[in-house]
Amino acid sequence: MEGTQVQLQAENVSKRFGGFWAVRGVTLQVPKTTIVLLMGPNGSGKTTLINCMSGVYAPDEGRILFNGIDIAGRLPHEIVWMGLGRSFQIPGPFKRLTVAENLLVSSGNHPGEKFSSSLIKRKWKAYEQSLMEKMFRILDVIGLNEKSDTLAGELSGGQLKLLELGRLLMLDVKTMLLDEPVGGVNPVLAHSILSYIRKIRDEFQTSFLVVEHRLDIVMKYVDLVYVLAKGNIVCSGSPDEVVKRKELYDVYLA
Amino acid sequence: MLLAPIFITAIVSSFLLSLLAMGFTLQYVTLSIPNLAYATIAFASTYISLTMFLMHLSPYVGTPLAFLLGGLISLLLYKFVAFLRDRGTSLVGLMMSTLVFDLTIYGLMNIYAGYIAYAFKSYTYAFSLAEMDFSIGDVPGIVVVSAVTSISLVLLFHLLLVKTKFGTAMRAVMENYALAGVHGVDTEKILSVAWFFVGGVAGISGSFYPMWFYMDPWVGARMFISIFAACVVGGLRSIYGSLLGGFLIGASEIFVTFAFAGIFGVWIWSYRSVTAMIIAAFAIVMMPDGLAGFLKRLQMR
Amino acid sequence: MALETLILDILSFFSIYTIMTISLNFEQGYTGLFNLGLYFPIIAGALIVGYLPGRLAMVFYNIDPTLDFSANNAVVLSLLKTRLQADPFFSVALLAITLAVVVVVCAILGYVTAHPALRLTEDYLALFMLSLAETLRVIGQQTDWMAGGVMGIGLIDLFWCIGPYAYYGRAALVIGSALAIFLIYQRLCASPLGRLLKSVRENWLTAECVGKDVSQVKKKVLAFSFAILGVGGALHAIDLGAVVAGDYTRVDFSFWPWLMMIVGGTGNNLGVLAGTFALVMMRRVMIVMKPFFTFLPFDVLWLEPILLAIMLALTLTFRPAGIVPERPLKIKNYMRRVLHIKLQTKEEPSKLLVGR
Repeated sequence: MEGTQVQLQAENVSKRFGGFWAVRGVTLQVPKTTIVLLMGPNGSGKTTLINCMSGVYAPDEGRILFNGIDIAGRLPHEIVWMGLGRSFQIPGPFKRLTVAENLLVSSGNHPGEKFSSSLIKRKWKAYEQSLMEKMFRILDVIGLNEKSDTLAGELSGGQLKLLELGRLLMLDVKTMLLDEPVGGVNPVLAHSILSYIRKIRDEFQTSFLVVEHRLDIVMKYVDLVYVLAKGNIVCSGSPDEVVKRKELYDVYLA
Repeated sequence: MLLAPIFITAIVSSFLLSLLAMGFTLQYVTLSIPNLAYATIAFASTYISLTMFLMHLSPYVGTPLAFLLGGLISLLLYKFVAFLRDRGTSLVGLMMSTLVFDLTIYGLMNIYAGYIAYAFKSYTYAFSLAEMDFSIGDVPGIVVVSAVTSISLVLLFHLLLVKTKFGTAMRAVMENYALAGVHGVDTEKILSVAWFFVGGVAGISGSFYPMWFYMDPWVGARMFISIFAACVVGGLRSIYGSLLGGFLIGASEIFVTFAFAGIFGVWIWSYRSVTAMIIAAFAIVMMPDGLAGFLKRLQMR
Repeated sequence: MALETLILDILSFFSIYTIMTISLNFEQGYTGLFNLGLYFPIIAGALIVGYLPGRLAMVFYNIDPTLDFSANNAVVLSLLKTRLQADPFFSVALLAITLAVVVVVCAILGYVTAHPALRLTEDYLALFMLSLAETLRVIGQQTDWMAGGVMGIGLIDLFWCIGPYAYYGRAALVIGSALAIFLIYQRLCASPLGRLLKSVRENWLTAECVGKDVSQVKKKVLAFSFAILGVGGALHAIDLGAVVAGDYTRVDFSFWPWLMMIVGGTGNNLGVLAGTFALVMMRRVMIVMKPFFTFLPFDVLWLEPILLAIMLALTLTFRPAGIVPERPLKIKNYMRRVLHIKLQTKEEPSKLLVGR
């Protein structure tokens, strides 16, 4: 695959915890305008890899290239502004803030959030207004309109997943790392979330790296698949190819 | 054998502080929150020693009482915190609840001091009982008492932990409270006994303090700094680390202060707590896992 | 006259404590920084007031340099009094300079303290802050040259120039400052900054992953609130006319503010104000009642921590959210109150904004 076609690339990434290598020598590529699935049994290192890519961990070895720039070891907030966002496997909402506030806080360079300019309302009123417009649009899209004033801590599991997505939409990121976006969500909602992801890909040329276990639901929405087991990439290819590979079954049945 | 006062101070300080630090960490590890009342509870027992002295008895006679007092208060505290914990109180709330005891004991202790000042017509707000100590040759009794008590208690604790069924149960509780409960361990009973015992030991340590040092209403607050420093240096969740940390802080507080007194003058002597804090600050920045973490990492290489 | 004095006394006391509790709420209620050592910057502010203005005045008026402000406090004070009584401009200048120094020094202290604080978990942080504060108290108490050590030090009164009205001048300064500080905090918390701080409190990792530099936020919060707390300590000393470093105990200047915040309701400034007021009134009433209890064989002063403990225990058990619990912000109210967008009917807020 050509370099210019690649949005996000992990090159020989390794991460250890004490004596245990969670991820070892992983190389994978997320091309532009593509939905890539990262799959594997529990404990294979999928979330660790996502954590390395999003800046939560610093990899011990290897590079992580986003738009050609090595982002390994950078802090999460820096990486977000470069255009790479992530969601969490177990949603981490701001529980005692409303859904609306959860979305509004997912913004950048807000003059109202700076000590100096927050005292003078004139300086941030316009920005806040346009931010609210955006928030209402996104609330509409993710279908949480009715819940705008509900505390995030009172949402159901599926609604929390929608909120995770909503936050990423507010951030206007070019690439999303989604850790189990439909985990524990009913099949109807799962399908609508996944088709919405395809829609975003088409409309905004966004790339996705999706970690998921529910292969029965997710396979038909993805363009490319990587299989991870015990910290190593075992095989990769298009969904149809990978489904036929022997290694896939060895890894799950071992 | 003539021991210079500075060495006596270092020895007594180290043994007492190591016991206190170890007890603090044990309570921390079992309840997952630090007991803010710990120092105050420990030093409330100094008044038992004082009362014995005022009744013309050797202060050491009060040791069993000190154990009982410290143990009972700690047990009560544990019950209260456990009660709030089971109701879902936040971490902040639980730590505040330990403060409830800190404040109560602080108030009661000083009320008692006022009362016995009135009853015995004696000044009780600042005192030292060093002169009431027995001597072995030229060595003050407290040196031997603190050393023997400390060493034997630590050995007893270690044997208990490793060789008895109770100890095994307690290790299970410390590792994983929920899991231990599932396996049939009576977690509440284990923790109640553990807290009683630790509180009792803290009480004993406190009751020994005025046998060499000066006691006033704010010693608890100042010793808290030293206990914190000892735990930081040792590794905040490591029991044996705190033991080691207590030794180091107890000794270095004195030696570092002594060394600087030579350069800056005698007024540095009052800054023992400051020295402990500086060491603690360094430890946080350089060795966040403390000595215990450092040694563990060495082991892994 | 006595009633007037009593009211001003209560208001001054209330003002000082409001400055402390609102700042604490900013650190803990909004941002989730468990600062048990609230009195650290308070003592710093008091020490600066003890050290600086007297010596600056000595230099300005060419007072005998062999005299030390600390060691020869009484003598120097009488010398300075005659001069300052006639010099309102310099008095004001001294006050301004001192407070400016307090703000700068305490802000730096806050910023620096944040560095080790960032690495610590909540419980560890509480212990660290408490130890730090107690250490400063020990330093202040033992160091004679700072602010008189154990005995304390008398301060020059920057209101000597208004003679018999000095007392009112001090009260005006304290109460006015508290009001201004409260309004500033209210403004900050009602703006998107308040939302940002709460997000850091709720889940700092998620906050990082929505692009917030959490370290910077915490450093700035501590720098700002330490500066304000320093001013609080300075004002307390100025109001008292003296600095006795040892009197800034953890019970009076950390645990009481914590109780006031918890009883009132953390996370919202009005709740904290209510809690502060209630407990300040209670403590003042107790002081008035003190003479009735002299029959007790101990100092009634020691009943205060026990009372504090009982109140804390009751609040934690029965009403942990406080008198005025933190309430979620409804979008319609926010739009009306903050953005001044009035919704005419039962319109959907979204329809109102889309199309602007």
